[in-house]
Amino acid sequence: MKSLVISDAISAENLTKKYGDNEVLKGVDLKIEEGEFYALMGPNGSGKTTLASIIASVRSPTSGKIEIYGKKPEKAKELIGYIPQDNFSSPILTGKENLMYFAGLLGYSRDKAERIVNELLNKIGLSKDANKRVSDYSGGMRKRLEVATALFPGTKILILDEPTTGLDPSARRKFLGLIKEAKEEKTTILLITHIGADAELASRVGLIDEGKIIADDEPERLKETSGLKNVINIETTIKSEKVANVLGDFSDDQKVLETDVGYRIYCKDVEKATPRIVRSLDAIGCKATKVEVEKPSLEDVFFKLTERMVREVS
Amino acid sequence: MTATLGKTIKEFLRQKTILFWTIAWPILWVLIGSFSFTGSVPEEVAAYVKGSITISMSVFALMTAGIANLPGNIAQDRERGLLSKLMSMPINPWRDFAGRILALLAFSSLAAILVALVGYICGARFSYTLAGLWQSIGFLLLISFASAGIGMLIGTFIKHVHGAIMSGVGIAVVTAAISGVMAPYSSLPSLLQQFATVYPISSGNSSITYLLVGKDYAGYDPLSTSQTTLTIIASLLFFVAGLLAYSRFCWRKD
Repeated sequence: MKSLVISDAISAENLTKKYGDNEVLKGVDLKIEEGEFYALMGPNGSGKTTLASIIASVRSPTSGKIEIYGKKPEKAKELIGYIPQDNFSSPILTGKENLMYFAGLLGYSRDKAERIVNELLNKIGLSKDANKRVSDYSGGMRKRLEVATALFPGTKILILDEPTTGLDPSARRKFLGLIKEAKEEKTTILLITHIGADAELASRVGLIDEGKIIADDEPERLKETSGLKNVINIETTIKSEKVANVLGDFSDDQKVLETDVGYRIYCKDVEKATPRIVRSLDAIGCKATKVEVEKPSLEDVFFKLTERMVREVS
Repeated sequence: MTATLGKTIKEFLRQKTILFWTIAWPILWVLIGSFSFTGSVPEEVAAYVKGSITISMSVFALMTAGIANLPGNIAQDRERGLLSKLMSMPINPWRDFAGRILALLAFSSLAAILVALVGYICGARFSYTLAGLWQSIGFLLLISFASAGIGMLIGTFIKHVHGAIMSGVGIAVVTAAISGVMAPYSSLPSLLQQFATVYPISSGNSSITYLLVGKDYAGYDPLSTSQTTLTIIASLLFFVAGLLAYSRFCWRKD
């Protein structure tokens, strides 16, 4: 008889973390199953990095329970591959030297380390650049190299903290391809991000705000349950409070999300609203350079739930 | 441990500022000292004065390696998130520590040997017994341990790389200048002479000078039982304090 046991790779119950009087995590409950790709999305300061570092055994919780395959995190370090937000590889060593250093730390013999490192370099597409110094790598190459430090045999959980921040679109695509490969190999993945498009790749997304997970579901389900139907994405020549107020009149609940180049508004009847929006903007001397109707993103869902943006606009 | 040793050595050898302060700077002073300060001195004496300068600059190389390079390396690893990464891995902090210290000793030895070689080429001569040579190696080790201890304290408490390096260089240069490493012990005011006997790097330097060049060049008897005991205890105290600070605060979960 086949036994169907789904074990929790990561389990957190009522987890809190305080720094002095500042409570960064306020009772987080989280369960991530083995092989699951879970994205934790939230703005800066929401507690997502703190949560990741507690799971990775870099920080201790103030209270609550955290288990990795039923063990305390410090007893399960060999199962975890943690990639912190910063670029931790040594820029004055070559890519291969960096990986050999980590192989050495993990106790591999020289020959075995050499073999595994060559395999890893091949896997991350850096074989040709293995002997270049990391200072000569692009941001994307460096991030892939750093992910490779977490892909040594035995890693069952990959924790990635904001891995695509600062990467150009091509490097980001390549990097996410690497994560998809890890997913196909049944590695449990916890992706910490503030980028909705990255979180969409996950099988489940948790939205975290002010130290609490406020929603947790499949990406599509999160969008459905948010009640958002359509989003009008408007690029404008001017961004000001006045423009936002005008647009607010067309948005459900007056909610307007500011973007790098304009605004996003949430509207049920987009066909009627669109020409009126353009006219209203014209009337206050603001040109709409682009108006598009889009499906809501996870960033829209977060905004709908919290009235706060996941990321700062430039 | 060998992984950290290999990484740290490579990082030391590939950074120009480290090579400058630890190797080029002391060599420069050996050259300046050998040709500028010994012109009016009889040739026989000059060879030993050059020997004394060479020892001081070799000690200065050890000081810089421990007091400036080591904290720079620790601060760099912390600043770029490597220490967080290491804390998440199944590795023993003591092995990381041992790897760093061994790398420091290897790099310091290389620097000291190069400085001594340049001094010898410039005419430095020594007068020693085999036992004195072994004792000198012991004092060199004590100087390295004391420097590493001070370096670990700086690296633990000064978070930023440049701050850690500049503090280290500053402390190394100033303490070398006021404790008789860079100037003859006899030329120091009495307060600084007292400091020179308590500061283990300076008393270690005087001990080596006494053993390899002669007591006239040391300025006092650094090999008396009480002074040697003080040098050993002070060196080990710095080392243990640095070690405790590093293991407690750099690898601590907050």
